[in-house]
Amino acid sequence: MSKYEYVKEPALVKGDHDFSSLTRLVTDINLRPTPKAWYVAMIGANTLLFVMIAAIGYLIWEGTGIWGLTNPVGWGWAIINFVWWVGIGHAGTLISAILFLFRQDWRTAINRFAEAMTIFAVMCAGVFPAIHVGRIWVIYWVFPIPNQMQMWPNFNSPLLWDVFAVSTYFTVSLLFWYVGLVPDLATIRDRATSKIRKICYGIFSLGWTGSNRHWWNYEKAYMILAGLATPLVLSVHTIVSFDFAVSMIPGWHTTIFPPYFVAGAIFSGFAMVLTLMLVARKIYGMKDIMTNDHMEKMNIIILVTGSMVGFAYMMEFFIAWYSGVEYEKAIFMLRATGPYAWAYWTMMTCNVLSPQFFWFKKLRRSVGFTFFISIVVNIGMWFERFVITVTSLANDYLPSSWDYYSPTIWDVLTYVGTFGLFFTMFLLFLRFLPMVALAEIKAVTPQADPHNYDEETKEFIPPKVEVPEPQAQKV
Amino acid sequence: MKDLESTKQPMSEVKETTYWKSLNELAQNQEYKEFTEREFPENATELTDGVSRRGFLRVMGASIALAGFAACRRPVQKILPYSKQPENVVQGVPLYYATSMPFQGNLIGLVAENHEGRPTKLEGNEKHPASQGNSSIFNQAAVLALYDPDRSHSPLYNGEKATLEDFTAFAKSHFGNTNQNVVFISEANSSPTYNTLKEQALAKFPNAQWVTYEPFGEENVLEGNRIALGQRLRSYYNFLNADVIVSLNDDVLSATHPNHIEYSKQITSGRKVTSPDDEMNRIYVVEDSFSATGSYADHRLKVKASEIEAFTYALASALSDRVNGLGAFSGHSNQFSDHKWVTVLADELAANAGRSAFSVGSEHSAQTHAAVAAINLALGNVGNTVSYLEVPHVDEQNNSEAFAEAVSAMQSGSVDTVVLVGANPVYNAPADLEFEKALAKVGTVVSLSDYVDETSAKASWHVNRAHFLEAWGDGHSCGGVRSVIQPQIQPLHNGISEIEFLNRIVNGSTETGYELVQDTFANYFTSGFEARWNTLLHDGLDPDTSFDAASVSLSGGFASTMRSATANVSPVSGIEVVVRPDATLYDGRFANLGWLQELPDPMTKITWDNVALMSPATAEELGVENEDVVSVTVNGTSIDIAAWIQPGHVDNSVTLTAGYGREGIGRVATSYIDYTAGGVDTYPLRSTSNMLYASAQVSATGNTYEIACVQDHHSLEGRDMYRQATLEEYKDNPDFASYKEVHGYEVPGLEAAEHNGEDEPISLFNEQAYPDHEPQWGMAIDLNSCFGCGTCIIACQSENNIPVIGKKEVKVGREMHWIRNDRYYVGEDAESPQAVHQPVPCMHCELAPCEQVCPVAATTHSEDGMNQMTYNRCIGTRYCANNCPYKVRRFNFFNYTKEYLTTGDDPDIIQMAMNPDVTVRFRGVMEKCTYCAQRVNRAKIDAKKETGSAKPADGAVKTACQQACPADAIYFGDLTDDNSQVAQMKRNKRNYQMLEELNTRARTSYMAKLRNPNPALA
Repeated sequence: MSKYEYVKEPALVKGDHDFSSLTRLVTDINLRPTPKAWYVAMIGANTLLFVMIAAIGYLIWEGTGIWGLTNPVGWGWAIINFVWWVGIGHAGTLISAILFLFRQDWRTAINRFAEAMTIFAVMCAGVFPAIHVGRIWVIYWVFPIPNQMQMWPNFNSPLLWDVFAVSTYFTVSLLFWYVGLVPDLATIRDRATSKIRKICYGIFSLGWTGSNRHWWNYEKAYMILAGLATPLVLSVHTIVSFDFAVSMIPGWHTTIFPPYFVAGAIFSGFAMVLTLMLVARKIYGMKDIMTNDHMEKMNIIILVTGSMVGFAYMMEFFIAWYSGVEYEKAIFMLRATGPYAWAYWTMMTCNVLSPQFFWFKKLRRSVGFTFFISIVVNIGMWFERFVITVTSLANDYLPSSWDYYSPTIWDVLTYVGTFGLFFTMFLLFLRFLPMVALAEIKAVTPQADPHNYDEETKEFIPPKVEVPEPQAQKV
Repeated sequence: MKDLESTKQPMSEVKETTYWKSLNELAQNQEYKEFTEREFPENATELTDGVSRRGFLRVMGASIALAGFAACRRPVQKILPYSKQPENVVQGVPLYYATSMPFQGNLIGLVAENHEGRPTKLEGNEKHPASQGNSSIFNQAAVLALYDPDRSHSPLYNGEKATLEDFTAFAKSHFGNTNQNVVFISEANSSPTYNTLKEQALAKFPNAQWVTYEPFGEENVLEGNRIALGQRLRSYYNFLNADVIVSLNDDVLSATHPNHIEYSKQITSGRKVTSPDDEMNRIYVVEDSFSATGSYADHRLKVKASEIEAFTYALASALSDRVNGLGAFSGHSNQFSDHKWVTVLADELAANAGRSAFSVGSEHSAQTHAAVAAINLALGNVGNTVSYLEVPHVDEQNNSEAFAEAVSAMQSGSVDTVVLVGANPVYNAPADLEFEKALAKVGTVVSLSDYVDETSAKASWHVNRAHFLEAWGDGHSCGGVRSVIQPQIQPLHNGISEIEFLNRIVNGSTETGYELVQDTFANYFTSGFEARWNTLLHDGLDPDTSFDAASVSLSGGFASTMRSATANVSPVSGIEVVVRPDATLYDGRFANLGWLQELPDPMTKITWDNVALMSPATAEELGVENEDVVSVTVNGTSIDIAAWIQPGHVDNSVTLTAGYGREGIGRVATSYIDYTAGGVDTYPLRSTSNMLYASAQVSATGNTYEIACVQDHHSLEGRDMYRQATLEEYKDNPDFASYKEVHGYEVPGLEAAEHNGEDEPISLFNEQAYPDHEPQWGMAIDLNSCFGCGTCIIACQSENNIPVIGKKEVKVGREMHWIRNDRYYVGEDAESPQAVHQPVPCMHCELAPCEQVCPVAATTHSEDGMNQMTYNRCIGTRYCANNCPYKVRRFNFFNYTKEYLTTGDDPDIIQMAMNPDVTVRFRGVMEKCTYCAQRVNRAKIDAKKETGSAKPADGAVKTACQQACPADAIYFGDLTDDNSQVAQMKRNKRNYQMLEELNTRARTSYMAKLRNPNPALA
């Protein structure tokens, strides 16, 4: 025996599931009659969606002035919300693409779910840059469309980079998600009994038969898209951070922004996945698939990224002091002690302090505590964007222009309303699409790797599944 | 249909075919409906009210032309083309006419820019001594007053609409009875025609009394000079000859001062320092509240307004030891006698005898003015820095007393008729006179006024007054230069001027103002009338006219009057309350002008309201903070008003400004849109014995009231945007304002660049190429001249069609001014800091941060070095504004222009105030200072036509702010011309760039401020 004992990974799927029971567990949700609770949730989400539509309608009718924006503070909640929602989206791509390339099999339980969240979050995010402009009816000028003026947009502008980054991100995420869905859609098609379902799922499963060639094409396509999506995880929030970093406002003009924004995005994205997952697995009885092991792994990522973000906060302070630039020094002191100190310390508490509890294994595995922290983290990350966007603009170079920004009811309603869009989409997803990547998860169950022989005698033995419990492990 | 952009182009360029589907559609058109409703009242048949069939068809045609794109979201405006081109009118090219504006009885010579018969902008008349080409906020805002839709539209008889003919008939019959007791109450007026009519009136009505009433007049100055010099003379300063200026609570630099422009130019020109060899005048100010003059001074002492008199006597007493002629004060001593300032000032004045100017605020007592006159006389200043003018139209009577007597006569019921010529005593008379009650006891009240104001509302006859740009007039400047007022447009509401009004009353005749003024000038131009008259109209003034300076000596009774005055000085021991004219609304006559309401006060930066100013210590004592409402009680009358802490204010004193709280005169004055604004009427606290200050009880009420202040932060935070030094420091180190001297190291990147043979640090982005054939525009702002009056702001607003947005929007922080005036308090001591002013227009950076970040390239650089804003291309991301380190970009958060130009029932009128050369901006676009691109381009085109070069001669193009500035603080021109004024200014050692280390390469730069302190007070 070696000095080091081989510690077996805990099984990724708990319970004594076979392929068929997994198929039932996941696809029955889509096939059985719609539960009443779903309708109740859908009415709630639709109400919020209507609030968003009304708030946007009034905005377009009346003008950007309905928001609390002022002369020094040209960007407020809209941009904060945009960055926040885009950031949330990052977890999905990270889980599905990067963890796929790194062969992290535990991702299979949550990747579908997280990718759906990504797409809907990016949709919510996309609302804001579109509506925050003064003249929404000419927003298409930001696209490089050939026109009679022979005029291109300004390729120097980070906002233009944003347009490309976010639209590419959305497109790739959507494709990636859809490619992954194809085998599972075929599964539902095969199980569906009503004609309409057969036709609809049939169309979207693109004639999938599960042939060897289909699988071969599928695997290649999935791999390529994962490869494409991986740099996007890093690039999108890098470019979003350029909106700030490329400008010359103290507190924005910072080279640390790209990594710091990406870390923050993953941080908030994992928190959001956890928030949604913990609710969904409870309601849909998915505890066997989305296990506490998954939760713990994600909490570790939250701890790591949260600490990175905290480190970035401190580096910002250090660099502001070290640079000797008086405006940089002033803005960081003002953030911590000035008129927005309440927002700054909310951010610090939520983002830096709260994830540190995850050093404790007990807390990492506590469902209630994780749920609580996942929400705290997202509040904190919203405030991070608030602190960056608002404080820098409110207190920049000329003290004469300093002003205090406060949102109006319309800022709040538009933000709250995007949750309506998000949850409407998410509820539709839960209802009509398999929330777990069935084809993928089947491949990582203990049953998929049966070992039906004795390792020493090489004799056949009946299948016997060992499900080591994580509690037995030593860390 | 024409959208806004295209109507602002010269009309000759407009060629557009418009289409409509059917006549039925046209008939349904809202524009057409409104048009018919407005032009033709219901049930009126179209041809009976004087509209010819042809005229009807012509305007119909315009309306039909408007119908094409009624569904567009853009604002629709109407145009009416000339059917025949008038002579000398090239459409799109304005004509300029000399005219004058009366203010506090004095004329200020102006030049009106007239677009197709529509005056749109006023500038100073360079030939006129009272303006010398510059102007004040009130001159600039006069255009808006002309087009104010709230002006009275017709005469009223007992509140019912009447016609001018009705009034003429009434005047003829009513004033046929010459034995009635008539009281004429008039504004100050220097018009010779007017004063001839006044004499005629007094001759015609033997029982008439004529009172000139101004709430803030020069009555005390005249009385003081009578005490000292034996005659009612006007003090007229010449600060050009003054090396030392001592102002006791005299805010000469404020636009409210009757000779603001001339004095501002004189005082600031004594401080134009171009090299370390130059000298500067030295200004001492003793005052209660922080005034613009106080902020400009080299030394400022805070003293309660009620103590100014004692201070004056103490100084006179100290001077009596040093110069002859002040024997009346020798031996006098009071609480200020041992004050350091009294000794220092006495030394300084005595040392600069004959080269010093000593003045005191016009509201201070006649005795104080008498002492000031005696001091100036004793110092030998008379004839050098001050002269005492014999003003022919000044009454021999003391008008303050005469007014009180007239009101008590009215009260007693012995007055049959009161004729008010422009005066508004119901609003602004001293409260103890109870003018309104007295007026009710008068049988017939006839009131001529611009608005149906508080007085006109109580009058039996109200006659709507013509604006000075609508009617002929004449008058004198403060120094006596005779000018005419040339109208620019037919009266919009058929109003009449005060001379036409008086002529109806006195002579019962309806001669036009033109005839009346010509008659007057026929007396002056006894030969060659036609030529001289034409020269008068062309130049705007009668050359070589002025009031005669009296040769003065101390009057016999002076010493005894002073002995009793000095014995009876009684400063307010508790809290005093001081009521002053408002820096932006004056006495309230400008209260309905949105430009002035929204103009930040030069010191407090408050818009739309008046406040109770007090020192930090007094506020603490009262337990109030900014926006807490306090109750101010004087002699049992109290008002509630928001408190505001003014650093540098004297303790135990509260300063209020008058002019607010007007009732019923218009939408702007009372409230704007749906927000409470318009301030508090403070006149109820004034009484005949307490016109300037009174002892008051002040207490917190516990309520708060929102105040819209455009500047929240008042400290420079140790930053270097504003640089100043003393004259001595400048002489020792002329480079004091450079980045290296301020920071101790060179601009980052500059040394490396110089090492590589570059002039400036490298840029990440491509730099704009500046071809040789183009001029390169630049601006230099001399902080040593600026005293913060805000004329540049209003001039820019008028030139560039900047909308008024209302208190609510200002409160949110969305003010639209393209040039703002930052005011910072400097110094360790919060109780008596220095205040500095810094006008901030767009910097027109060569490497403009705004240009890099616009996603649609809506803001770009021109070859002549201007940062341009293309409104049509702007989608409104506001990224440019965020990235502007100077925060000079302004965003149309709402459709401000539409709100501003279409409120009220007659929006066409206010639209006439717009400059047709400048596009009005739609909702959702960014805007900012353009360096007056329309003026620049007109000058470039003219230069190209005349010389073939696109470079206009130096001085051929002036920006609106530059042209208006009464301190000549702004220089603008071509930097490629080494001899241009701006290029010379930029070579001045005091020149520095704001935020130079950002490498924005700003084209607008500043020249550091200098102060000239007296070492004895250091």
